[in-house]
Amino acid sequence: MRYADFTPYDIILLLQGLGVTLALFVGTTLIGLALGLALAVVHHYRIPGCRPVIVLVTEALKNSPVLVQLFLVFFGIPAFLHIRMTPVEAATLTISLNTAAFAFVVFRSGIESIDRDQIEAAQVFGLNRSQILRFVIAPQAAAFSVGPLIGILVNQLQVTSLISVIGVFDLTKIGNILNLRTLQPFIVWAVIGLIYYLAAKTLAHVGGCLEAALRKSVKWGGI
Amino acid sequence: MIVAENVEKRFGDVAVLKRVNLKVEPGEVVTILGASGSGKSTLIRCINGLEALSGGKITVDGHDVSTKAGLVAARRASATVFQLFNLYPHMTALGNITLAPIEVLKLPKAEAEARGRALLDKVGLGAHADAYPQQLSGGQRQRVGICRALAMQPRYLLLDEVTSALDPEMTGDVLRILAELAADGTTMVFVTHEIEFARHISNRIVFLEQGELIVDLPTAEFFAEDGGLAVPRIRQFLSKMKKD
Repeated sequence: MRYADFTPYDIILLLQGLGVTLALFVGTTLIGLALGLALAVVHHYRIPGCRPVIVLVTEALKNSPVLVQLFLVFFGIPAFLHIRMTPVEAATLTISLNTAAFAFVVFRSGIESIDRDQIEAAQVFGLNRSQILRFVIAPQAAAFSVGPLIGILVNQLQVTSLISVIGVFDLTKIGNILNLRTLQPFIVWAVIGLIYYLAAKTLAHVGGCLEAALRKSVKWGGI
Repeated sequence: MIVAENVEKRFGDVAVLKRVNLKVEPGEVVTILGASGSGKSTLIRCINGLEALSGGKITVDGHDVSTKAGLVAARRASATVFQLFNLYPHMTALGNITLAPIEVLKLPKAEAEARGRALLDKVGLGAHADAYPQQLSGGQRQRVGICRALAMQPRYLLLDEVTSALDPEMTGDVLRILAELAADGTTMVFVTHEIEFARHISNRIVFLEQGELIVDLPTAEFFAEDGGLAVPRIRQFLSKMKKD
């Protein structure tokens, strides 16, 4: 067996890469969704001074390349602030913020899609702000948001491949290593692409089931 | 008792309510009549705190609605039924009715649901407890809206043009329920265009004209030739409503 041949061990390498990709994806998704939701709630309650800042930052994140953001965070910020940052930290920070920016827009429209009428009804019946948010706004905003969010997350899963550039050993980086060793780019990249495809399809499927459950009450029209 | 003293409401430069005075005693049914844009709904929205007053004072059982604590207490004492129902679309009929009793009155869920089902039975919707608003007709939705208000066991029921969005048949269903409530002694402030019905159930009728409360009379006097009908604007309004 030559050094350049594929070996069974490569499967373990691929699984490791996939593990890193998925861990980073799940981590940044949780942080990004929580942050995006927090921004949407702050935006909704018109906390003084927050709206322009939130809009400016999220617009900047949505309208510049993720790779540029990644370079800024990995090379720019450590140089500017004289701190050290590992590739994983830089990747986590960048993708989390990027996901948060897109999630913010979805959550914001989800919240804004709810009729003022219902909120007034809840106010008149004595529910306080947090009860209205929890019982009236959140369930409907969630049903409204879950479809667009799944779309965004499927895209963010692909975006994680960019982090290989700064040296995170994710699925794409493993592909790079296998490619350099075997010199079989067609096979390597086809397999890597297929793995991303399967992961994305699984994610979309799970999301679809979640959406169906959340929309149970609105299958009669409405929202 | 609901007391409105010299209530003023302006939207920008437009004065919608001008020095309005109104008292509603427990057990009374007071109907507010007036043309569209005369400020009827705004007055209701001032009483339940959805609009902040530009001047004057409103108290519900002595609780000033312009203070935070007063508004909480005033909202406990009253309940509103809306023109466009304002139901929560993601909740069933029963869920709409039990939300505030569970979360605000802190009733145990089982008790709130028993109360809700009893109310639904009373308005003929016992079989629709688990239906979502979109599955119900307008008249059914408004009956759920009434149950939602009654489930809070309010001392005052505020009704804001509750039949305006309904066809005549559905209107009849809703009015029958309101007549029963009136007969039971429920205190109501009733904004409506259903003049004959108002005449039938009200103790008093007040008339708003361009934000001013120009007449406040017991029902019989309001419709008497030497009472309300002696006011040209009211005579004109009533004859126009009859034609329509």
